[in-house]
Amino acid sequence: MREILTMWRETRMVMLVAVVAAVYAAVLIPFQTFQIIPGITSIRPANVFPVIFGIMFGPAAAWGSAIGNLIGDVFGGTFGPGSAGGFVGNFFFGLVGYKLWGNLRPLSSGVEPDFREAAGRQAAEYVIIAVTASAACAAIIAWVVDLLGLVPFAVLGPLILTNNALAAVVLGPPLLYLTYPRLKELGLLYPDVLREEDLSEGNAGVSTTLAWVLVVAPLAWVGIGTALSADAGPELTSVAALGAVGMLVVLAATVLIGERLTGILSRT
Amino acid sequence: MSAASLYVDRASPIHRLDPRSTLALVTAVFVAGYAFDDPRYAAVPLAAAFVALVAVGGWQNFKRLSPIVAALFLVGLVVWPAFTAPGGPTLVAVGPVVLSERELLFALARSERIAVFIVGGLLFVTTTANEEIVRGMRQVGVPYAFCFAVGTALRLFPTFLEAAGTVKQAQEARGLDLSDGGPIARLRRSVPLLIPVFMTAFRNVNTQSMALEARGFDTRRERTFYGARPLSAADWAVVVAAVGVVVGVVWLRLSGYGML
Repeated sequence: MREILTMWRETRMVMLVAVVAAVYAAVLIPFQTFQIIPGITSIRPANVFPVIFGIMFGPAAAWGSAIGNLIGDVFGGTFGPGSAGGFVGNFFFGLVGYKLWGNLRPLSSGVEPDFREAAGRQAAEYVIIAVTASAACAAIIAWVVDLLGLVPFAVLGPLILTNNALAAVVLGPPLLYLTYPRLKELGLLYPDVLREEDLSEGNAGVSTTLAWVLVVAPLAWVGIGTALSADAGPELTSVAALGAVGMLVVLAATVLIGERLTGILSRT
Repeated sequence: MSAASLYVDRASPIHRLDPRSTLALVTAVFVAGYAFDDPRYAAVPLAAAFVALVAVGGWQNFKRLSPIVAALFLVGLVVWPAFTAPGGPTLVAVGPVVLSERELLFALARSERIAVFIVGGLLFVTTTANEEIVRGMRQVGVPYAFCFAVGTALRLFPTFLEAAGTVKQAQEARGLDLSDGGPIARLRRSVPLLIPVFMTAFRNVNTQSMALEARGFDTRRERTFYGARPLSAADWAVVVAAVGVVVGVVWLRLSGYGML
């Protein structure tokens, strides 16, 4: 997990953060394919970026997605206290991918995410990662926005989850198929950029168990949070407490899970 | 400044403030907007922020965002009555829709809170240039590498935004229709738009990194900013006033004012 902080020593990782952030924000604003609630939420193709960038660029994608969303708020005119939730939510949107790829045994394909071999298993693994990352982002943003008393968790949580997951699931496989080999050739995959001593595979058994905890926790958070919020009074204390627990579980799991792409690349 | 930016280049008193003071001012507006459940109290920071926004030349920005503000305000009014306890006399009773006075006031206050946050945020981005935002972040202690990434992203963003628009126009000229079909069909059709934009962006990462290192770029060394200056007397006055507003608002709330 220390690569989340030590990556800032690497010039290429810093540049990757900046480029991920700029690309995410640049595509987030003009491309809105389907308005769910006009002016509030729409299905955006850019929501695929944190997931696929996360798998390829690791921690740079997490920071880049968070900054990109913030830039989107600044340029889109929605900068405010809710932007803090957007920052943290999008950080985890980009973080989950590289933590889960290869750790979801027995489902994991154990190969590079290029959809060229074991495509069926890669697709299943990718869909789980995309939905998990979307749920983590949705739960965190909906929790913060609910705490701020702007929109109830029950309204925003399921909306963001659907919105994010749809774009990530539909667009992720073709984009990874087309771009992964080129980005690998450019030497931009995070195992190629980060120092060896900064990357930790951790204990495989522990990582697998925690990876499944990370899959279940955000989805349960959205589900239970929605149910609690729908029945809650104005104080919404139960949603606040659930969010605190959910945040701790998601944070602990992501801290303790080791990454697997380095090992996969070294075998090929 | 790029056309995409909401910054308005004026010489208003708020424009002249240090970004840290502007942030303190806007934070006070946010706290005041957050503190009250009674719409009469919540209207005060909203009105103050709106007047300040117009005074600093942000009317065009507000006009541009008014559909979003109106939509969010309306959603708040519709949604919040279902999430609060009823109370007081019944105002509306049409079929299954029953709306009490308390539900209406609560929803109105929440909608005002949404509007305060948007107008307050707009006041900040209208009066603070991107470079000042980055400098302000560094001056409040955010690590330099992070500030550099934000600053670089802010500089690259308009370029990529323009590239995204060009690619979109080019693909549409070739017959790509993004407005037809359901959400999944539309998403699938966006693949030819996304690949050129982000492959162009990432192709230059290695050369840009080399160029930075050739100029001695080191994220661990302390850096200076051209426009960095200490807080002036006016800045300190604004910070003190902002703290005073926060203290006053918290005191009012704890004394039972602004509650339903």
